[in-house]
Amino acid sequence: MLRVEKLSKRYGGLKAVDEVSLELGREEILGVIGPNGAGKTTLFSMIAGSQKPSSGAVFLEGESIGGLPAHRVVHKGIVRTHQIVRPFANLTVFENALAGATFGRDQTHARAKAQEALELVGLWNRRGDLPGSLTLAGRKKLELARALATTPRVLLLDEVIAGVNPSEALEMAQLIKKIREARKLSILLIEHVMPAVMTLCDRVLVLDAGRAIAAGTPAQVVSDPLVISAYLGSA
Amino acid sequence: MKLGIALSAAALVALALLPFALSPYTHNLMTLSFLFVATALAWNWLGGYAGQISFGHAAMFGTGGFVAARILLAGALPPPLAWIAGGLVAGAYALIWGHPTLRLRGPYFSIATIGVGEATRLVFTYWDKFTGGSSGLSLPMVPGAKRTLYWEALAFLALIAVASWAIRRSRLGLALFAIRGDVEAAADVGISATFYQDLVLFLSGAATGIAGGIYASYFSFIEPNDMLGFDRSISFVLMAVIGGVGTILGPVLGAVVFVLLRQFLIGSYPQLYLGLYGALLIAVILFEPLGLMGLGHRLVRRAAR
Amino acid sequence: MRFVELLVAAVLLAGLYAMMAYGLGLIYGVLRIVNLAHGGMIMAGAYLGLALHDRLGMDPLLSLPLIAVVSWSFGWLLYRFVVRHLPRGATGGAQSLLLLFGVWLVMRNAVYLIFTGNDQAIRTAWSTHAWKLAGVSLPVNRVIVFGLAMLALGGLHFLLTRTYVGKAIRAVAQNPDSCTRAGIDVEKVYALTFGLGSALAGVAGLLGATIFSFNPSFGSVELLKSFVVVVMGGLGSVAGTASAALVLALVEVFAILVLPSYLTGAVGFVLLVLVLVLRPGGLFGQKVLG
Repeated sequence: MLRVEKLSKRYGGLKAVDEVSLELGREEILGVIGPNGAGKTTLFSMIAGSQKPSSGAVFLEGESIGGLPAHRVVHKGIVRTHQIVRPFANLTVFENALAGATFGRDQTHARAKAQEALELVGLWNRRGDLPGSLTLAGRKKLELARALATTPRVLLLDEVIAGVNPSEALEMAQLIKKIREARKLSILLIEHVMPAVMTLCDRVLVLDAGRAIAAGTPAQVVSDPLVISAYLGSA
Repeated sequence: MKLGIALSAAALVALALLPFALSPYTHNLMTLSFLFVATALAWNWLGGYAGQISFGHAAMFGTGGFVAARILLAGALPPPLAWIAGGLVAGAYALIWGHPTLRLRGPYFSIATIGVGEATRLVFTYWDKFTGGSSGLSLPMVPGAKRTLYWEALAFLALIAVASWAIRRSRLGLALFAIRGDVEAAADVGISATFYQDLVLFLSGAATGIAGGIYASYFSFIEPNDMLGFDRSISFVLMAVIGGVGTILGPVLGAVVFVLLRQFLIGSYPQLYLGLYGALLIAVILFEPLGLMGLGHRLVRRAAR
Repeated sequence: MRFVELLVAAVLLAGLYAMMAYGLGLIYGVLRIVNLAHGGMIMAGAYLGLALHDRLGMDPLLSLPLIAVVSWSFGWLLYRFVVRHLPRGATGGAQSLLLLFGVWLVMRNAVYLIFTGNDQAIRTAWSTHAWKLAGVSLPVNRVIVFGLAMLALGGLHFLLTRTYVGKAIRAVAQNPDSCTRAGIDVEKVYALTFGLGSALAGVAGLLGATIFSFNPSFGSVELLKSFVVVVMGGLGSVAGTASAALVLALVEVFAILVLPSYLTGAVGFVLLVLVLVLRPGGLFGQKVLG
């Protein structure tokens, strides 16, 4: 579905992301974990087009999309959410989702799509409210709904679970699973909350200091000595 | 909603019949108000909807005015077509400087527009082959034209008001509101900030240019410092801010208040009007950032309680 | 010879530009507010100098410290009672912009009422003299202005890098939240900085008034020029500000050679737009692209 080849981002001499490659299968959930500053969000930004890669390539179903601006990447079918949620504070919950549906990959039946996305995450009854009145978990769901309304093929989720209370975290994890089933989506997921990673992800990629140091099933990865030392080293 | 449409239509009819009962002085004031209300609305498409405050809209008002005046002096086109031609040139000019500068946000865009406005004024002032320099251009007076122009200005205002409403409800409006909320998040839902901002600046600039053309016809005399002065640019900002940025009724109210206040001040305290605008601006920002519209909402809520 | 003379003129002018720009840059760097009243403060400095000179016979060199204190107090009060209450950052930016713009309009009008809109000038005993150095004429007033501007910038540099107050200002610019935790009164630092920026503007206005004639719209062109310099020179570095000021002054002075005279006035504005567009990523040393 999504193939990333030797993607790098350099700031002067500093390598924020160093030749990271990955492959995301159809309807797969691939977790990206790693200590703070490992380059996870930069990797996402490059795939989503908000930052230009220094080198490397991104393919969506064989089509090269590396270097396209963010809004074009959305039209191709890749959409991201942000670690710190960024709803349009001046638009209602419904209009937020409607923006996604109106300008996304498939722009037909925008109102119906916006409604469907809000119903899926359970925010339809809050449709007339401003995002500022939602809880953090609510705003994370709104960000998810707005992304879903763009009719994506690949979803890039940046820490949608971290920061909410345990029961909300559980609900969020179930929601992600439900979304994958309902929409037949492939999901790339950055997450710090390890139990969620263990239960949600089919495979996990571990980044440290900009490089991919391990990949495999969650169980394989957590017992990998390289991974353990990366985490302990950073702790 | 239906009530709003009915009220607007009634107001339009009343305004259209009014000239039969007006003194020349009031007639002048009304026509001027129509043009300024229309320009404030057009400024608001960019400043209110997209959140890009322009201190340089006089550049388009002047461009549209002088292009239309030149076309009329050459007798090449009938007035409405000359105004539209002026508007198109003004819109194109807006795109030329706007396309690169609209990538800037917030204060940086605003500051760039101050530079654009002043540079345009200087060029127009010294380009006397085209603008007549500081002695300006005089257009031939046509008997009875002022009454026709009243209706034409009113029709133009009605058009811009409907356009404001239509843009707000359209794809373009949604894109602009999203861009104002968060440019990067807008890109993340597939909105091209460049395209929609360029588009709205073109529309806003063209409408402002048309207003400049009608203004030129109405006064049959224009000169660069009046058309393109910094005060002119400020007045567009003030009208929208006083009334309520981002709304439709706001700039309408703001422009009416502005014209009346200006007329009153120029009559009684000509040397005070700039400072009073400043004081008004400070008061609005400090006490009611949403302007008259915000004040209205607050009063309605209090009355309901 | 003409070339050398223009070069010298540009360097002398650059000193004043650097001073005007530094006040604007300082306020932006620490408070993240673009002070649109900056032009008004420049103008106020000029008129205050005029009043002290014409009514009390005070030489601008004597009134300078007084004007610095008055401008500082004005900035401090403006911050404490008005600017403090405004939202900042991406969405609040428009509000402080418009409000400070309103302050500028009020100041312009006040000056207009007191002094009329006529062109004014401060003429001192030294304003028409010139030194001759190796055939190049050096107008005394411009040399003095340059020297004082350099002195002020040097003093400011010392204040910011060597004193406790200066270090607090720089720390607040970096990270206000951690300063609050470290026990620094951030609001006090903000007010102080707003005062400092205003004082620089006021003194620059006074110095400018000894060279140029001025009227109530004095300061608007200067504000735009300050922006050009801040944008080109980056933030907080005296050397960066000085070299950017020099670039602007050189472009302006040498534009006389290649452009028709009526277009030289537009050079600053065109440069402003070009710099904003071509260096958007490096503006104020900060990312400003949306």
